[in-house]
Amino acid sequence: MSSELNFKEVQSENLYELYVSGEVDIYTSQVLKSKLYEIIDANQKDLLIECSELNYIDSTGLGIFVGALKKVKQYNKQIYISGLKDNIKKLFVITGLDKLFIIKE
Amino acid sequence: MSSSPDTIEMSLPFKPEYVSVARLAASGIANRIGFDVEVIEDIKVAISEVCSKLVGLGSKISENYTIAFTLRKDRLDIIFKCSDDSLKCLFNNSNDELSLSIITALMDDFELCTTDKDYLLSMSKTLKEKG
Repeated sequence: MSSELNFKEVQSENLYELYVSGEVDIYTSQVLKSKLYEIIDANQKDLLIECSELNYIDSTGLGIFVGALKKVKQYNKQIYISGLKDNIKKLFVITGLDKLFIIKE
Repeated sequence: MSSSPDTIEMSLPFKPEYVSVARLAASGIANRIGFDVEVIEDIKVAISEVCSKLVGLGSKISENYTIAFTLRKDRLDIIFKCSDDSLKCLFNNSNDELSLSIITALMDDFELCTTDKDYLLSMSKTLKEKG
């Protein structure tokens, strides 16, 4: 069964942009975790996770975002999240994670 | 023809690659009752949360767990069934807070119960009149 999660990466001087598309669940979450941790450790920049093509995420994926935020804070950097669809934004609000991350419209 | 509600049962291996299959089935079934897209997404997330926890725990005595969807006129009942006691400690971990808060916020009812031989987790969503 193929992974239903894809990435596109764009780098600028101070910001690393990761475009996430597809679905994040227990099956694909480890791919997301590896990708985020690798980017954070290798670049030590602010990270923008662009989610307009992200169709689905559950608590497994949200937990990985939280882990990535802890990691990025070790380098005194920040995670920005943009393009959240309404159904996913709702999960950030329910879990209170909308207050933890900087969410851009 | 019987007027009793239709029930659709699926048996899934304790493997992460099949959680998306449960979501797909839930989507089609919820659509059949008439839930709108937003609520269907909520139901998919709630089902996926339980499946993920079940898969994470696994079972010593069974290779599969069962999900039964009962399609009522204005409600969808979902029952997860497992012969093992996996369900018993499904949300006992402190890391399960995210998952529990999502399920209880998205579904109308959410309950764990046991029979003589099975552990059951039930949840339901009621169709709301559009105002």
